[in-house]
This record gives sequence, C-alpha cells and structure tokens, in this order.
Amino acid sequence: MIALFVTFFSAVVLLFLGLNKKESNYSIFAAISLFVSAGLSWACSANLISFGLLESWVPANMMSFGKEQHLFSALLAFIVGLIILMFRKNEVVGNDQLGLMMFSLCGAYMMVSYQHLVMLFLGIEVLSIPLFVLAGASKTNLASNEASLKYFLMGAFSTGIFLLGTAFIYGGSGSLELEMMGIKPSFMHAMQGMPLPVLINAGIVLMSVGLLFKVAAAPFHFWAPDVYEGSPNRTTLFMATVVKIAAFVAFYRFLNTFAGIADAWKGWISVLGAITILWGNLAALNQTSVKRTLAFSSIAHAGYLVMFLLMADGTNTWILWFYGLAYALASVLVFSIANQLSVSTGKNDFSAFDGLAKRSPFVGVALVIGVLSMAGIPVSAGFNAKFYLFSFAWQHMPWLVGVGLLGSAISVGYYFKFFKHAFMQESEDASPVLDRGLLLFLSALILLLGAMPWAVLNSIF
Amino acid sequence: MEVIIIPILASIAVMALGKKNQIWLSALMSMLPLVFVAQFFDRVGVDGGWKTLFDQPWISDNIRFTTGFDGLTGILLLLTNILVPVIILGGIRNDEHRVKITALTLFMQGALNGVFMAQDGLMFYIFWELALIPIYFITLTMSGVNAFKITLRFFIYTFVGSLAMLASLIYLFLHTANYSFAFEALRAVELSHTESIFVGGGILLAFLVKIPVLPFHSWQADTYTNTPAAGTMLLSGIMLKMGLYGLLRWFLPLAPESIEFYQPWVIGLSVAGVLYGALIAIRQKDMKRLVAFSSLSHVGLIAAGIFTLTLEGLEGSVIQLFVHGINVVGLFLVIELIERSTGTRMLGELGGLAKNNRLFMIFFMLIALGTVAVPFTNGFPGELLLLKSLYAYRPNLSLLAGLTIIFCAVYVFRMVQFSMFGEGKGEVASLKWNEILAFGIITFFILGLGFMPQMLIDIVHNSIVQIGQWVSEARGVMS
Repeated sequence: MIALFVTFFSAVVLLFLGLNKKESNYSIFAAISLFVSAGLSWACSANLISFGLLESWVPANMMSFGKEQHLFSALLAFIVGLIILMFRKNEVVGNDQLGLMMFSLCGAYMMVSYQHLVMLFLGIEVLSIPLFVLAGASKTNLASNEASLKYFLMGAFSTGIFLLGTAFIYGGSGSLELEMMGIKPSFMHAMQGMPLPVLINAGIVLMSVGLLFKVAAAPFHFWAPDVYEGSPNRTTLFMATVVKIAAFVAFYRFLNTFAGIADAWKGWISVLGAITILWGNLAALNQTSVKRTLAFSSIAHAGYLVMFLLMADGTNTWILWFYGLAYALASVLVFSIANQLSVSTGKNDFSAFDGLAKRSPFVGVALVIGVLSMAGIPVSAGFNAKFYLFSFAWQHMPWLVGVGLLGSAISVGYYFKFFKHAFMQESEDASPVLDRGLLLFLSALILLLGAMPWAVLNSIF
Repeated sequence: MEVIIIPILASIAVMALGKKNQIWLSALMSMLPLVFVAQFFDRVGVDGGWKTLFDQPWISDNIRFTTGFDGLTGILLLLTNILVPVIILGGIRNDEHRVKITALTLFMQGALNGVFMAQDGLMFYIFWELALIPIYFITLTMSGVNAFKITLRFFIYTFVGSLAMLASLIYLFLHTANYSFAFEALRAVELSHTESIFVGGGILLAFLVKIPVLPFHSWQADTYTNTPAAGTMLLSGIMLKMGLYGLLRWFLPLAPESIEFYQPWVIGLSVAGVLYGALIAIRQKDMKRLVAFSSLSHVGLIAAGIFTLTLEGLEGSVIQLFVHGINVVGLFLVIELIERSTGTRMLGELGGLAKNNRLFMIFFMLIALGTVAVPFTNGFPGELLLLKSLYAYRPNLSLLAGLTIIFCAVYVFRMVQFSMFGEGKGEVASLKWNEILAFGIITFFILGLGFMPQMLIDIVHNSIVQIGQWVSEARGVMS
C-alpha cells in the first residue's frame, strides 16, 4: 500500500513539475521515489515499519497487504526504478512518459495484492491503459504506432474474455473474493464427489486465457514480438519484465484458490507451458533483430514460469520472486547494452554488437554475465532461479521439466549469437558504451545472487 | 577452498594488470595452489576416506558448498595445478589475446579445482559448467569461416550432456531423505533397475561427451584443431579428465545398479574409439588434428579400463589419465612451438627441424616415447594395467585394443620423422627460459613416473578400493 501511495503521488508531482521541461531533469527524482517505494515496501515486509492506518482504508476483502505482497511490490518498484535510471538521459520534452510508467506500475501493485476479482480487473486496466500510450510513444515511428494499436486491440480483446470469465466464476461460486470463490466448488467436488459446475470450468479457462495474453504465453503470444519490437526500448523492457511478473503473480494467486480442483486445469496449462517453452526458444533461433530475439526469449521465460503455476502452494512464492528478480536484472542489463549500441550505431540487428569486447572489455564482461544469466548457466542468478524452479516443479510435472531443460539447451543457440558478434567480429565503429556504473551494479548483483543465493533469500524471506 | 579462490582472484589480477603483466608473475600465481595441494596431502593424507575440508550452506540449507580431499581428488588436483603453470609458461602466444587467455586459464584452474573437490552433487554440476565458460571464451578467439559453428557445436554438445546429468542428479536429490545433494545422501538412494538405467544414463551422457567416447566425439577434432594452443591443452589435458574423474567418482558409486546394463556398450564403443582414433590419426597431415585423434584413441582405452571394474583397470585408468594429461600437453606444446617458429603445422611442409635445435629435439623425442608407452617412460605401466584388465574382461577385445600400441608408434614416429628429420625446411627458434621450464616439468614427470609408477598407485589405492567396494556391494560380485 505504501508503495502504491508513494509511487502515485510522486507521479502526480512529476507531471505537474515537468509539463514542458526535459525529461532528463526529472528522471533521477522518479528513480529515487521508486527506490524509496521499494525500500518502504521491503521495510514493511520485514516488519520494521508498518502503515496500518493507510492500509485500513482499503477494505480487507479487496486488497491484502501481507509480506508476500510487500515483497512483490518492492521488486516491481525496484525494477522500474532501474529501467528509469537506465534511460535517464532521455531528451524528450514533458514528463508524461515517466508519469504514465509510474501509473502503470500502480496497476501492477494492485495486481499483486488483489483479494477480489474486481480489484484484479481494475489492476489490469490501470496497468494496460498507460501502456497503450507508452507503446506508441515515438509518434513518428510507424512500427511504434502499429505496436500501440496491436497492443490496444489485443488488450481490449483479452480483457473482454477475462471479464466474461469473471462473470462465469461468479455464477458458479457465488463470490468474487479470492478466499471465498474456490471453497464451494472444491468442497462439492472433493467431498461429495459432484462433477464440477460447467460455469467454474469455463470461468477458469476464460480468465486464464485473459491472463495468458498478458504474460504472452503460447498460443496467445502472437502480439508480443511485434509489440516488443515496435515499442520504444523503455516500454519494451517495462512490458517484458514488470507486466510479465505482475501478471504471473496475479495468475498464480487466482489459480491457487482452485488448488482443490487442480485436475481441472493442471493438464492443459502444463501443455501450454511446454508449447510456450518450445515455441519461444525455437522461434528465437532464426531472428536477426536483437529486440525480436529478446522478445521470443521472454516468451520462453514465460513458459518456464508456467511451471510455477503448477506447483504454487503459498509456501514457495519466493521461487517466483527470485526468478522474477533474476530475469528482470538480466533483461535490464542486456537491454541496456543493446539500447546504447543501437543508439550509437543506428543498427537494430546483431551487427550492432560487432567488436564490442575489443572496444570495451568491461562492457563485454557485463554482456557475458547478463546473457549467461538469461541462459541459466552457473554461477549466475538465472541458474539458481531455474534450478529452484525446475527442482520444485519436478515432483508435479516431471515431463514439463524435461521440456524446460530441452528449451534451455536450445536457448544457447541464440543467446550465444551475442558472443559471436561481441567477441569474434571486428568493427570500425569506435563509439563506446556509456553508463558503466549501472552495468557494474547490475552485473555485481547478478553474480551476488548467483554465488550466494541462500544467504540473500534468507535475509529477505 | 583456497585452491578455488586463489586462481579466480589471480585471474582478476591478470585482467587488471593487462599488458603490464609478465609471464613469470602469472606462472607464479598459477603455481600457488600447488602449495595448498601439498598441504592437503600432508594434513589429510590419502589413507582414509574422502575427508571434508570445508562445509557451508549454499544454494539451500541442504545444498552445500562442500569440498573434500582423498587420493583420487589429490591426483587430479596435482594434474590440474601442474599443467596450468605449464600452459601459462609455454602455451600462450604473445599476441592480442594473451591477457584474455591467461586470465581465462587461471579462472579455469579455479573452476577445475572446484570440480575435483566438490562433495556435493549440485556444487559438482555448478563447477562443471563453470569450467566450460572460460574454455568456451578461449575457443571464441579462434578465427576462420566456421569458427562460430565449431564453438557452438562444442558448447551445445557438452551443455546437453550436462543438462542430462543435472536431470539425473535432481531425480536423485528428490529421492534423498532430507532433500540433500551431499554425495553420501545421493549414494544412499535405492533405485529400481529401470530408474537406475535412466539416472545412470543421464550422468553417463555428460561424461561420455566430455571424454569423448565414440558416437559423441564429433565436436572434438575441429575444436582441438582450431582453438589456440592454450585452449587445446586445457581441453585435452584437464577437461577431458573431468569426464574420466566423473565416471570414477560420480557414475560408479551413484548408479551402480545400471553398470551391468551399460558395461558392454561403453567398453565396446571405447574399444571401437581406440581403433578408430588411431587409424584416423595415421592419415592426418595436420599435427594438431593428429594428436586430437590420438587423444580420442588413448582416452577410449582409459574409459574401457574403468568399465572392466577390476582393480587393475580402475588403478590403471587413474595412472593413465594423469600420464595422458602430461603427455598430450607436451605434444601440443611441441606443436605450438613449431607453429610459432615456422608458421605451419602441416607435416608435408615441415622437415629437418632437429638440425639446429638439439634441445627441442630431445624434449620432443622424450614426449613421443612417453606417448608410445615405451618401458621406463610414464605411458607404459598404465597402458599395461589397462590392457591386462581388458584381457580379464574379454581377451579378444584386449587384442584389438592392443593394436593401438602399434598404431600409436606409427603415427607418433611418423610425426617425429616428418617434422624433425629429412631435408631442412625452416627451423625452430631457440627455447626461452619459460619454454625450457615447461618442457622440464613435463619430462620430469615422463621419466619420473616411468621409473616409479608405484607412487601414483599408492596415492590412489585406498580411494579406488573404496569405490570398488561400493560397486561390488551393489552388484554382489567384484571380479
């Protein structure tokens, strides 16, 4: 709650302060306010401080503010803070993009702490509507316009399906509250051996479809590569990390209420997960554009996270948190390098990376750390995240873990294209990559989470 | 712990020093772990079991950072920390990649020490993968049309094998009493026959790819040939031994129920590899490629020896893996120096190199004799034990594998003859102090172990007997 509060008000302040000034003047302020949000949320999760009065304004059956919600809010705020820091030199006039991104983040907070499906719906809308604008933010770029329109159409479409599902769930269970709606059908199914109401089944399917659109999992991922490629880099990064993590948290909390009737949804969700993993990884192999490759890679990561949906039981949420953090850190690191290279060379394909290691060994090492973490190779945060995920998922869906391992093997084929260009190719281009401080910070964090994950997790959870 | 941390710190230091760094400094840093290894021998000794030296929760409470030491670990630590200084002294060319390759080699030393000391399954896997990263980036410095394809094939082959091993280890992990990756806990898991075939198969795949045994060898020759010399030496001298070590340390104790099933296949394929590698080596013109295939032939014999499960086979394999590491690094060093001076390593374009550089000639000849396994050189005792164990398993197979002694003599002496003798084409520059030191270390071990092979057996005997006991407990009989 405190994160929502701080983020919202600093976004409003930002909009008023910088209506016709350059964005770069205010991005540090935005980043700091987000880190403050993250810090306060973390402090709440550790019971160092408490904002009971603030939280009591929201009815308890609408949103909940437990440890888990605070930690996810902190994670999301931290990532957005990093993203804004990364693009702090943006010379756009007007703070509207910064403000919109922070408003969108408020929607993400709601998605991770909802207790009522209406709040989830509101959260998704608050998250999505600013994103439609952000996707089209480079107004003169046709691809950006296309991305915005596509994202809008797909978003509207998936929201419609989602709402229909909500209505069905209400019809089948008589409640929209997270804690109530699963009880009746589970009880009737498990205790009295009655078949599941059709409305519940259909409701789960339809709501899942809506959420699968948001996380960009197959077969509802078609919009993702185009939208990710067309949107400005900052928006792409926001969609690939924050939106995905928030949607997965919402998704797992929703499915978890129906844990008692898991047979009804585990089968087809795991099949979709397997398809997502394979599709994302295989399609990424033949891409020439860096952003498209990363888009497909993010689809593949959504596939791995589907495993989490199948094993979530309320006690292992830290796996999703850790995976989200590892994935986001690596994405921000690789994207930040790719972004600066595409700005300085004007190329969008892999040849922008030519000769990078020779020009700047430091950035080369940072790239190696980021890409290896994405591919899940030790010692990196990505490996530990994948290890936790796979070893816990094994008991629930061993074959899906097999597909995940296969996917990891395939992913090497495209992740290592970065190394081919950075280490093997020569280039006359001599423009350096700036922003070493952020790269150093991100690489160190990835290595820290890779080398001593348990110490870090113990101090947080 | 120290032997893992020091090389990694040294690698960072080398990166930081950059071009200012001298060979003697990096060589000195790479020799430092040897002091600690000697201290392990002194403090822990090799008569007991596998003793834990360091233990700390790592990935979770029961997945720990545990390092241990016994004779088998000791041998491989010795091998690693003797060969890395040799590679740094002689194997790295003074070109634009020198700093990078030196740093990566040192990093690799740390990772390899971790592999050989790991007492925890996941730690073993993590270091196993970690050792792959520096060598991958060393191979990336190769040039040529297909360079990226070759490196990618190498990486994907080994990575797929590793993932299969990871899957097997996770399966065992989930069946342990308290979700632990500790070696003892994994070993205590009782598997049914079918389970053990799958679990054992996964573990085995990782090691067979790394060794490599016949159908998984196709990454080897191209990678060896095109990689800079330091990379080739690391790959053939030490990395390959990770696979053999893995067989002894992890495969045999963890999945003994599946040995029965895999034994004929692995021995058959290994012996086929012995012959195949030797026959192809005879036809090679490129010296590096020749040694690559000879290496395939030699390690095939070692793998076959391990799978005979006799005491001679197991001990012979440990001796031979040490000796092969020394000899093959020596051969690649010779080839590297020839290539540095003359600019070529094609047998047809070389000749008469013995004329102006007698010292080089002597070193080359000694290494060649060791490779051919002439009595009183280090190659002889191990090969004898291996062939003897193979004879106990199937006399016919040992006859077939024994042919390799003849073939080996053919291709090694052919290499010596075409490059060293005959009409003079080019000459080898006189050896610098660092190259003489590198050769000196290698010839010391070639002659020393030739006269006193028992030293190695004494170190490793207790560990091998224990592994043999575990296997025989599971199988009921031990031949």
